[in-house]
Parts: sequence; C-alpha cells; structure tokens
Amino acid sequence: MADAAISIRGLTKHYGSTVALDGVDLDVPTGSVFGFLGPNGAGKTTTLRVLLGLTTASSGEVSVLGGRASSIDVRRRLGYLPDVPEFYPWMTGREVLRLSGRLFDLDASVLDARIEALLDLAGLTGVKQKVGGYSRGMRQRLGIAQALVNGPDLLLLDEPTSALDPIGRKDVLDMVAGLRGRATVFFSTHILADVERVCDQVAILDHGRVLEHAPLDDLKARHSRAHLALEVTGDATAFTEALRAQPWTGSVRPDVSGGLRVDLVDADAARLLAPRLVVDFGVGLVRFEIAEASLEDVFLALVLPTAPITSGRAVA
Amino acid sequence: MNGLSTFLGKEVAEFLRTWRVWVLVGIVVVMAVSSPVMARLTPLLLSSLETSGITITVPDPTWRDSYLQWAGNLGELVLFALIVMLGGVVAGELKSGTALLVLTKPLTRPAFLLAKFLANAGFVIAATVIGAVVTWVGTLWLFGEAPVRPLVASTAAWLVWAVCFIAVMVLVSSLVAQPLAGAGLGFGVYVLVSLVGVWGPARRWSPLGLLNGPTSLATGEPVALTWPIVTTVLLTAALLATAVVTFRRREL
Repeated sequence: MADAAISIRGLTKHYGSTVALDGVDLDVPTGSVFGFLGPNGAGKTTTLRVLLGLTTASSGEVSVLGGRASSIDVRRRLGYLPDVPEFYPWMTGREVLRLSGRLFDLDASVLDARIEALLDLAGLTGVKQKVGGYSRGMRQRLGIAQALVNGPDLLLLDEPTSALDPIGRKDVLDMVAGLRGRATVFFSTHILADVERVCDQVAILDHGRVLEHAPLDDLKARHSRAHLALEVTGDATAFTEALRAQPWTGSVRPDVSGGLRVDLVDADAARLLAPRLVVDFGVGLVRFEIAEASLEDVFLALVLPTAPITSGRAVA
Repeated sequence: MNGLSTFLGKEVAEFLRTWRVWVLVGIVVVMAVSSPVMARLTPLLLSSLETSGITITVPDPTWRDSYLQWAGNLGELVLFALIVMLGGVVAGELKSGTALLVLTKPLTRPAFLLAKFLANAGFVIAATVIGAVVTWVGTLWLFGEAPVRPLVASTAAWLVWAVCFIAVMVLVSSLVAQPLAGAGLGFGVYVLVSLVGVWGPARRWSPLGLLNGPTSLATGEPVALTWPIVTTVLLTAALLATAVVTFRRREL
C-alpha cells in the first residue's frame, strides 16, 4: 500500500522452536487509528518490538514510515508507549519529558512549551514527587505524554488504557481520537470497547497470524449476524429442540448468562414466530432480545469459534 | 553519535542524585583516610603482641607504607566495589525497562554504552583524585613527609587499569540479563586476570603489569609500565568496540 504508515509482509519471528509471528501481513493507512487486537500471547507485543527495531524478524519485510524500523530518521518521527512504562525513579515527570525531548534534539523553547502542555494533558501539572512514587495510572499517563513529546507522525501504543481509571481512560481515548488525520495511531489492546470507540481500522491477531484486517465497519458488517438472546423458565429442552428445527434459526447454544444464543437466518421471521413458539411450549419468557454482533462477538467468533457469546447490541 | 551528550548528562545527574555518589566517594575516601592511619598504627598493633611473649621488630613507618596501603586498597577493595556497582550498568536498565524509554528514541545503542563508560570513568577518576588528595594530606600530617610524584604515578597507573575494568564491566553487563550475573562475570574476569598476572613475562608486556605496578610506584620504585599502559589503552578500546558490536545485535 503506497500510503501505508506501516507495511508488513510475511513477517515471522521464532524464539527457538516457538513461533511468535507466523507470516503476518499488515498495512496501516497513514492517518488512521488502528486497533491491533489479540488475546494474550497472540504476538502483539512482538510485532511492536519488531516495528521499533528492538528485535529482529526471522523473515519478512517491515517498513515504518517508509524506512527501516531501527533507523534514527524513522525514530525521530515515532512515539512509543510500552505496556508497562518504566522511568528513572529519581526523576520528576517534568525531567522525564525534558530528557525525552532532548533526545529528539527539540529546541529549548519548543520543548518548554510542549512539556507544560503534556503535563497538563497527563494531569501531572504541579506534581513534584519523583516518578518512583507514582501510581500505575500516573506512570501510564506520563508514558503517553513522553510518547507525544516529539509530535510523532506515528504513535505506537501497547495497551495504553489498561491501567487507567474510567476518567483517565476517557481522556486517553479522546486524545487518541483527536490525533486522527494528524498522526497515525497503532495501538494494541484487548479492551474491545476502546477499539470500537476510536478505531477506524482493525486487525485481529491470534497465534502469530492475522485473522482479520479491515475497516471496523466492514469487519462488523461482514461478520455481523443477527442473533436472538433468549431466556425462558420451565422445561426448555423440548423448546430448544423446536427452536433448532425452525427454518429461521441457525445454531442454538447456551450463552454465559444461562440463556440461549440463537443465530438467526431470518430476523424478521424470528420477531414474528419466536414469541408464538414460547406460547406453544408453555415456557415463561424472561428475556427476548434480537441483537446484532458486537466487535466482541466478532473477536470471539474468530479467535475462539466455539466460545459462548457474551454480548450483543439490542436492535429489536 | 546521536544522543550521546544528552544521555551522558542523564548519567551524571543519576550518579549525583542517587546512592552511587555516596557509595563510590565514601569507599574511596574511607580507604584514603585509613591508609596513612593504618600505616601509622600497624607497628603499634604489632608491638602490642610483645605482651604475649612474641618479639616483633618493625621499622618505623614512613610515607611509603601509607602510599602502599593506598595502592593496595585501590587494587582490591575499590575495584571490588566497582565490580559490584557496575554489574548492572547496562543489565540493570534492560531489566527495569528504562532502556526501552531511551533506546526507542533517537539515541543509538553505541551512544548508550559509550555514555555509561565515559560517565563511570569520570566518576572513578574524580573520586580517586579526591582520595589521593586525602591520602597525601593524611600522610603529610602523620609522617611529616609526603612526596607527590610517587602518589601521582601510582594513582594514575591504577586509574588506567580501573578505566579498562570499567570497559570490562560495560561489556559483561551488556551481555547478561541480570545485574548479579554481570557482577559475577566481573569477579570471574578479576580472578582470571589475577591468576594469569602471576606469570612474569605477561606482566612486562601486557595490561597485567598494572596489577602490581601501582604498588611498586607508590614506594618510589622505578617500574617500566609503558607497554602495560599502551596495551591497556588498546584493550579498553577493543572491549568497548566488542560491547558496541554485541549490543547492537542484542534483542531488547
């Protein structure tokens, strides 16, 4: 892709006999907010480390901002937040930002102004204590601030909101959303709600392979299949069998809340005929909800095809 | 070398604002104070054994004994302290994750290593100069005589060796994952060097000459150290080059 901020082709990474990345192909469009989803151990952090030049690929090609991942010219245009940001504990937050800015050779007056703005963004203005005494949330916010100190063209964020409280999380997501069009944001996360909220592109990684890679709306449209969340009282066995026999249903399986998840072939038919079935079998109706698939459903269906379904957005 | 001066500034600030300054300067100054004192007291301590029926004849102590104590302390206690302190000079930052903070910015890996080497060499030189001055003052006070030349020659020769050992520690610490492993490897190198240093020809033509050279210089004895110093400087450069090459290839 010509205008890709990140382009990865056939990327593999082996640690001895362990395959961490197995032929990853990825294009991250310039200016996009790209969600990199995957369960623990999927290879997200390894991919980020290759992108940063911290580890070398076993094979494959990686282009970051049109250059080599490890080159100084590329690094001048990058911002990075590790999953657990660590700082020199004897420094203050201001000193961390100053050191970071100086490593980018920022002009002193520019750096001074930027430090004030970033401390304000991170909610650390006026905090005098050393970084060693910071809470996890404060470290995370300082980590985001230092990643922005050079005004990066590409921001690589590894689990940026995992340690934040709801307010801090909202602030970070607002900040990420605000960068759309001005910088490319590539962030790995397992918090699907964050991806749904700010990302326009998504890739789902599992066992070192990209399972899906598409604009978020396309992905949901492609995998979206209306389903019926149903919970009844009484003898549900015969009722369940009857549901399975209906031409408007697909698979019928239990969900995590103790009810049934019924994939629908024809949602309109379900709206008309499912209530009739409830009456015919004399079971009590506790929950009846027709919903479309959420990103979580798509994610679980791809990563764990047999998993019980946990969520859905009501549309009927 | 990108980022060298900035990261060197961070290293200096870290040394001055953490325990390191007190440990290094503290150890060197204690050694410096104790050298003339121990030289003065040793004959008294030995003569006290005469009450146990043992007769020991000890010549009156001189400035030579004081300088000898100083050179001996530098070669053993101060070097051991350096090994412990510098075991994690690189491995510590890799283990804690702070290296990621700076090495994902436009700071090159060679600059990262070189800043650590230069900073620690500077700290050791500064602390040793302070210690040498304290030794000189103490020696003059207790013995009434303290020639400068033997003390300067002895201390300078040891510093050449110490700076080389800092390069050893930068190399071994950049190869391991744990600071303790770095210190262990450093001790291993020290033991190996001490064993090989017993061999006379090796002392004449190689850095091993700096193992005992400082103590000989401290007493005013002339010692030919040209080759040991030249080879030590070359070895220091080779150690740093090796550290740079291996650290560039290392997965972080």
